Amino acid sequence: MKAHLACARMEFRVALTYRSSYLSTFVMMLLQIYLLTVVWSAFYDGREEMDGIPLATMTAYATLSTLQYTLVNPWRSSPIEQRVREGKVAVDLLRPIGFPGQMLSGQVGWVSASVPVLLVALPFALLIGAGSAPASVAAGFAYPLALLGALLVSQLLGLLLGMVAFWTLEVSGALMAYRFVAQFFSGALVPLWFMPGPVRAAAQWLPFQATAYTPAAIYLGQAEGTGILAALGVQCAWVVVLGALAALVWSRARQRVLSQGG
Amino acid sequence: MSGVRALRVYLLLAGAAFRAEFQYRGNLFINILGGLFYQGVGLAFIWAVLDRFGQVGGWGLSEIAFLYGLRLTAHGLWLLPGHQLVHIDEVVIEGEYDRYLIRPVSPLVQLLTRRLRLSALGDLAGGAVLLALASARAPVDWSPGAVGFLLLAVMGGALVEGSLQLAASALAFRMKQVAPIKFAIDMIFSDFGNYPLKIFGTAAGFGLTFVFPLAFVAYLPATVLLDREDELAVPVWLGWGAPVAGVLLMYAAYRFWERQTRSYESSGH
Repeated sequence: MKAHLACARMEFRVALTYRSSYLSTFVMMLLQIYLLTVVWSAFYDGREEMDGIPLATMTAYATLSTLQYTLVNPWRSSPIEQRVREGKVAVDLLRPIGFPGQMLSGQVGWVSASVPVLLVALPFALLIGAGSAPASVAAGFAYPLALLGALLVSQLLGLLLGMVAFWTLEVSGALMAYRFVAQFFSGALVPLWFMPGPVRAAAQWLPFQATAYTPAAIYLGQAEGTGILAALGVQCAWVVVLGALAALVWSRARQRVLSQGG
Repeated sequence: MSGVRALRVYLLLAGAAFRAEFQYRGNLFINILGGLFYQGVGLAFIWAVLDRFGQVGGWGLSEIAFLYGLRLTAHGLWLLPGHQLVHIDEVVIEGEYDRYLIRPVSPLVQLLTRRLRLSALGDLAGGAVLLALASARAPVDWSPGAVGFLLLAVMGGALVEGSLQLAASALAFRMKQVAPIKFAIDMIFSDFGNYPLKIFGTAAGFGLTFVFPLAFVAYLPATVLLDREDELAVPVWLGWGAPVAGVLLMYAAYRFWERQTRSYESSGH
């Protein structure tokens, strides 16, 4: 555990050295919130609500999901690709703790570097976009859990994707394509309730909605009562499935590294 | 150096960069796909929401698709030659610019041809296909004049976007790190440019026309082509004159770049 914390701390510091990306995260986040707020207002065009969703809920969703997205889906989804390419993976493998664990905790450290930006941006985001209190007491308690679930699912997806680097060295183009498909189906831009039928069905069966839509929907009361439990249950199921898959892929990838002579 | 010679040298160097890039065909293909997906997500968002809401600012899906296609084609047309400006920070900080100064070719030409990002072909092809499809469905009377104006508008749009990126890049000689500014500029063009400007209201609409010339890339030309002049808050001639704005802005940006290059201080090699 202590060793994992050290990994996290290390990557946290690395992330902090990219000051300019810090600034651009901040600016882009606020621009995105402004854009989505204006665009959703224009879509509503004076209507009180659409399919039972008032405009205020929609703009609050846009604000919340944009803030969340920065935390849960950073532009670097896993350190693995870079470490494999630069050969640093050899050192990682020599460390006395498991490789996937190192990578996961490193990535958590990296991600947590965006927390200070988010805290500074929060008042501005509420000013530009829209805020709202949790829909209910249950929603308030369930939200942190759902956010944690979202983080876990997205980390495991990043880990799986990163391990592809053991087979093919150059994945930047494929990663980019993946990112945007994942972003769309996560509901970070269009909430699942406004997706056209077949697209929504696809989104519901994919893991990505657990990384953005689920926590925001719980917070805003679009999942209530047993709906909250069901949503959290789906997240847990994805954590188990993706965790098992990651373990399987790692056992294969490890052979692969050894056969290369490490 | 004469313009003709600069162009010849540019084409020569760009050709070499193209051949270098073409060595990695698999990767090239995947990078083009990546670029297409980036733009595709923006379009998917608008499509999914319009499916429910029908229109935004009075523009339906075929009109928005036309605006999007026009904006994207202009973006791709700019990005293909201009992508390397993305690396201006490292070129200045690490002193790669020193090398450009001792060769008998314009430093800007050398910077633009240090590599060629063919993923921009994805943006260009995606934009052109979208624009062609949307043009057929949008309520536009396609006289030869209208087609000619559309082509000029695409080139003008590319110049507008390019001029802002060039001006921002020029700041790197003093500020050293301008990547965040350039990302923000790119985002405003790529994300804000896909909507009819009037939804942003009067003040922001004015700002996005005269302070940040977003309107000239696609909104103004698309509005006059779609016969929607009534919604313009600016005189109609500004819409027809949008391509000229691109030329003027690029000229100003180039002059600015030339001035700023004098502030270059080598990191020492």
